[in-house]
Amino acid sequence: MRRERRSLVEVGLPVLVIAVLVLVLPLFIPAFVSSLVTKMMIYGLFGMSLNIIWGYAGIPSFGHAAFFGAGAYAAGILILRVGVSNFWLNMLLALVATAIIAAILGVPAFRVFGVGAGAANPIYFLLATIAFGELLSRLAIALRPVTGGSTGLSGIPEPDLGLGFEMTSGRYYYLVFVMLAVCIYIMYRIVNSHYGYALRGIHDNERRMQALGYNTWLYKYTSWIVAAVFGGVAGVLFAYYGGTLVPNNLAMVTSDIAFLLVIMGSTTTFFGPLVASVVYVGVEYLASLYLPDRWPLIFGFMFVLTIMFMPDGLGVWILRGWRRLIRGAAA
Amino acid sequence: MNQALVTGLNGLSYAFILFLLAAGFSLTFGVMGVLNLSHGALFVFGTYVGLQVIDSLSYFWLAIILSAAALAVVGFLLYYVCLKRLYNRVPEQAVLTIGLSYVIANVVLWIWGPRAQIAQTPEIFAGALKIGALSFPIYRVFICGVGLLVLGLLWWIQDRTRWGAIIRAGMDNKEMTVSLGVNYGLVSTLVFILGIALAGVAGVLGAPILGVYPSMGDNLILLSLIVVVVGGTGYIQGTMLGALVIGLVDTFGKAYIPDAAMFFAYIIFLAILLVRPSGLVGRKVF
Repeated sequence: MRRERRSLVEVGLPVLVIAVLVLVLPLFIPAFVSSLVTKMMIYGLFGMSLNIIWGYAGIPSFGHAAFFGAGAYAAGILILRVGVSNFWLNMLLALVATAIIAAILGVPAFRVFGVGAGAANPIYFLLATIAFGELLSRLAIALRPVTGGSTGLSGIPEPDLGLGFEMTSGRYYYLVFVMLAVCIYIMYRIVNSHYGYALRGIHDNERRMQALGYNTWLYKYTSWIVAAVFGGVAGVLFAYYGGTLVPNNLAMVTSDIAFLLVIMGSTTTFFGPLVASVVYVGVEYLASLYLPDRWPLIFGFMFVLTIMFMPDGLGVWILRGWRRLIRGAAA
Repeated sequence: MNQALVTGLNGLSYAFILFLLAAGFSLTFGVMGVLNLSHGALFVFGTYVGLQVIDSLSYFWLAIILSAAALAVVGFLLYYVCLKRLYNRVPEQAVLTIGLSYVIANVVLWIWGPRAQIAQTPEIFAGALKIGALSFPIYRVFICGVGLLVLGLLWWIQDRTRWGAIIRAGMDNKEMTVSLGVNYGLVSTLVFILGIALAGVAGVLGAPILGVYPSMGDNLILLSLIVVVVGGTGYIQGTMLGALVIGLVDTFGKAYIPDAAMFFAYIIFLAILLVRPSGLVGRKVF
């Protein structure tokens, strides 16, 4: 991957414009739309967290919902069963739980990374990660007293920030925005650090990185945990957003959303999944209005059309257009 | 003891259904490196086609043939239109076929409705085989027979025929095989179609045992990927061994420890990943 020196205008301007837009948006749009935007931000974070391992380290995990759901369930259980009401404490504990689960599942997962396939063809790894999400969702069904069984958890209250004001869904929008901004900043720093470049190196040529003395297993394993933790953040935000959790939040149905976001947003751009999330949530909303019975069909076709006609993803397309615009204006 | 024997037969017949389902899945990715995650949804589609034939024409054998034929056509289209241009790009194949499985499941729901279908055991196989005090349903014995037949056939093709030799050579080194003048593209296309057609056979055979509903594909694709990982890829006997282990463990688990049964397959799966990641009889392909 080429390292490009980006000018302040090229990166800073769109970030600033979009941030301001998102901040003032709730003043002009009805409440249900801003609730959709909240969902876009949460799913966008979910997709971007998967992109850390898929796009940068080249590890296509197909069970990312395991971590999204683990974070969400951990938060839900802490609120409803343990009685932790503070949002920040809850977030912290849920992320620790997610990291532990990722650390445990990562050991068998990276045993097979490359087995029967080689790093370029991680079939076994894909199969293993699919099974992880299913395993966790079955655990959520089986542990009825804690997780509510197949009906799941419901009645998660609005978050208590400990700042002395009442939380509403309108204010939750801003909380999600702040969390998303912080996570994006941290993820951006991670993928553009020495560590992030090592991950890209592993993606391109793992043998070479090993020859250079990198412990590539450790890099892959830790990036898996990092991605899981950010997926967990999205999960916790999702738990407060909907107030209801079901075992499917851990299962393949939810993982499928994450990798649709990554593949549609393009694996080679940092912000791609966020763009894809806007499209995805929009289409999902329209489908729920007009064609609720055919939603799986539309969802499926989004995968097929992306792979067949837009394999690079929306992100690359937007980035190319933007660069042309900027360079054209400068020249 | 008697109960255990009957459960054993149930487990065996379940294992053979799993084998027929997973064989196609394993063939396509063991031989061609194509990960077809819509295999489960295609299985369901084939089953519905078969049940429709039984409903309107009431020929059991015709149902099996037509179901296999319908899936062969769909499989051919899938391979030629989509998968062929995704050679060696496994994550893309997986994404595409997962999307397709949503599409297929929803089309099945659209055509045949959301209700679970009741499949009758064909009349010739109704009743039970009595050995002493034990009675075994004839249909389950029949399933084991068909499963053994297919296993034997595939094993023979793999080890004793020119085709099998081409397939094995292609697994080791595709470029070398092609450069020897072998039409590897034709062989691998036919293998792909054969694998999907087998899913159609499994669907019609398994319908009276498994019960049929539009979303059953999700669960079946998971089971078949567990079977394939446990057994190991590249050899047909590996898939059979994996199916036997998972089928028997699942059936005995459900009979004796129903609360924990749904975890056994996953526990075995994790243990295999940790101890012997290439599977029980698998070898390292690619």
